[in-house]
Amino acid sequence: MSVKFKLSYLLYPLLLLMALASVEAFAHGVDSSTRNFLQNNSGVQIIPFMYIGAKHMVTGYDHLLFLVGVLFFLHRSKDVLLYVSMFTIGHSVTLMTGVLANIQVNAYLIDAIIGLSVVYKGFDNLGGFKHFLGKQPDPKAAVLIFGLFHGFGLATKIQEFQLPQEGLVANLLAFNIGVELGQFMALLFILLGINYWRRHQSFNKFAKTTNTALMSAGFMLVGMQLTGYFIN
Amino acid sequence: MEPNQESRSLIKASIISFAIAILALVFFILPAEYNLDPTGVGKQLGLTVFNGDTAAGGDSQISNNQASGEQNSVVLTVPAGKGIEYKLSVKQFKKVNYEWLTDGGEVYVDLHGEPAGDTTGYFESYAIATLPEMKGSFTAPFDGSHGWYWKNTSSKDMQIQLLFDGDYVIEGLK
Repeated sequence: MSVKFKLSYLLYPLLLLMALASVEAFAHGVDSSTRNFLQNNSGVQIIPFMYIGAKHMVTGYDHLLFLVGVLFFLHRSKDVLLYVSMFTIGHSVTLMTGVLANIQVNAYLIDAIIGLSVVYKGFDNLGGFKHFLGKQPDPKAAVLIFGLFHGFGLATKIQEFQLPQEGLVANLLAFNIGVELGQFMALLFILLGINYWRRHQSFNKFAKTTNTALMSAGFMLVGMQLTGYFIN
Repeated sequence: MEPNQESRSLIKASIISFAIAILALVFFILPAEYNLDPTGVGKQLGLTVFNGDTAAGGDSQISNNQASGEQNSVVLTVPAGKGIEYKLSVKQFKKVNYEWLTDGGEVYVDLHGEPAGDTTGYFESYAIATLPEMKGSFTAPFDGSHGWYWKNTSSKDMQIQLLFDGDYVIEGLK
């Protein structure tokens, strides 16, 4: 027990590091060296695309916030797997079709909807929908639908680079696999953190505060993206 | 998920979360991200620094403005049918190493220098060519503004990645 306790202390610096890494990168933004690579690449390059996909998920705080919201009250691994799969299916579908069918959606609007997904999940976790609507809208369907929007966000960003047609499908698949790997890594940390916290009294005490904070962060994302939409 | 939430506490949570978001947006996020600073708080906190003068004419990302010894990298967009200039201020007999490449296709380039203080429009070309990439160095024959003029004669916008190091002060896009 005491060993377990000490090990879990290691989590805090790790989580802190992750948080710092997220601040470094814009939600959905791609830094200049990545941009250079994307614009100058040619042919099939599996590993670099996987890396970008993974990096994108680990440093994209909007995705991470949404995942925190989704995972907050899930403690059976079966549920975790199910919800995460719904999200994965959703964003894989729109990521691939978005790029291959050349569907352009305004990135600010998509990112505003992603912000809204964070607000939605926070309110849902507070029991808001159940209270006001009498019943909670199917949370699995909600995760799937927001997964579709998250995928459109990824697709729109990728399209801005006008990737060469040569090897596009393979590169996209690699990017998508990277997204899943990155999501898996992020999930692992979020789950470890939440599960550790769940064993303490403070989890229930601060559950309301945490989800209110989540909603607030979601509102900030919506406000920031809508402002970007109107001034650009 | 607690089913017996009071409406009041839910509404309170929503209002508080919304209010905090609005405050954070107005005071911190919008000033930092978009230079929108209605209250002036962002400027006082120094948050508007991210929106200083950005070079005009395309997606330039300058990793470092002042340089000696370390390598700089910039990605420039040359619009279809248009030309751009990227310049460095170099003192006489100082050396600059450079390398650039396009994202596909050839581009017309004129590497040249203009003496400081000259108003006659005089310039001296060190290299004129049409190439997809180029690597080399030059030593400035006089104090002044030295750099590249690229012209994109194709019908598609072109990206050029430029890497350089040496003894200079970046002037940027002209």
